[in-house]
Amino acid sequence: MAIVKRKKPSAAREITMASTSDVAFLLLIFFIVTTIFAAEQGLTLVLPSKKSEETAVKVKQSNIATLKVHESNAVTLDGDPIEINHILKATEDRLTANPKLVVVLEIHPEADYGLMVACLDELRLANATRVSLKTTE
Amino acid sequence: MQIVRKVQKETFIPTSSMGDIAFLLLIFFMVTTIFREETGLPVELPRAEAGEEVNRELISNIYINRQGLISIDDLIVKVEQVSNLMAQKLEENPLMIVAFKTDTYTQYGVVSDVMEQLKEVNATRVFFNNDIESIPGLKY
Repeated sequence: MAIVKRKKPSAAREITMASTSDVAFLLLIFFIVTTIFAAEQGLTLVLPSKKSEETAVKVKQSNIATLKVHESNAVTLDGDPIEINHILKATEDRLTANPKLVVVLEIHPEADYGLMVACLDELRLANATRVSLKTTE
Repeated sequence: MQIVRKVQKETFIPTSSMGDIAFLLLIFFMVTTIFREETGLPVELPRAEAGEEVNRELISNIYINRQGLISIDDLIVKVEQVSNLMAQKLEENPLMIVAFKTDTYTQYGVVSDVMEQLKEVNATRVFFNNDIESIPGLKY
């Protein structure tokens, strides 16, 4: 019986390169979709530490403005009711009258967190740098 | 005078370098991709305009949802546990910023209690995450 020799493939072996860009694009789309850029939006604040509480600075009553958020989510500035979108103007006016102004943001524990952020945002926009947070006892 | 008629050349866009461009973009996105490490809690962040951007690497998250549940590293924790957990994290990264991812309608008291815990361990740099655009239907 004759032994049939298998023919070796004569054509040179090669990897098809035509589809590499397709592969690259597929991977590209995957990474575009999953990418989250490394930054987050938010309001920064530095809390007083336990140490600084011992060396607390006293502020004159006349230099304090109290922005209060009540249990019912009503907002008052030094006792007068105020709309959130009026806080910016009112704070700016007070700051020009008294640049040493310290704003105390007093929030009731049952008020909404969103309201506190809204107030803090308005104070930031009014360039009130000296803000202290207080929780209604 | 003889007017020379211009011979129009055939126009074509070379596509041979498309794969290279695709690979370049691919490398860029691969390098900048960060996969979400924690799922946290579903929250609707409040809206604010004065928000700043802070580098993610400095941030450690505290999620607080509408019901007042607190989640750190995907674990639901009690308020009293916050100080210990955050003290550990502060040791690893002294420049740490604590980011509050808190729902708009969460009672402020919960946030305030957590902040008291942070003061105990001197984790004083905090960050209140917000959205730039408001979610329709939110009051603030």
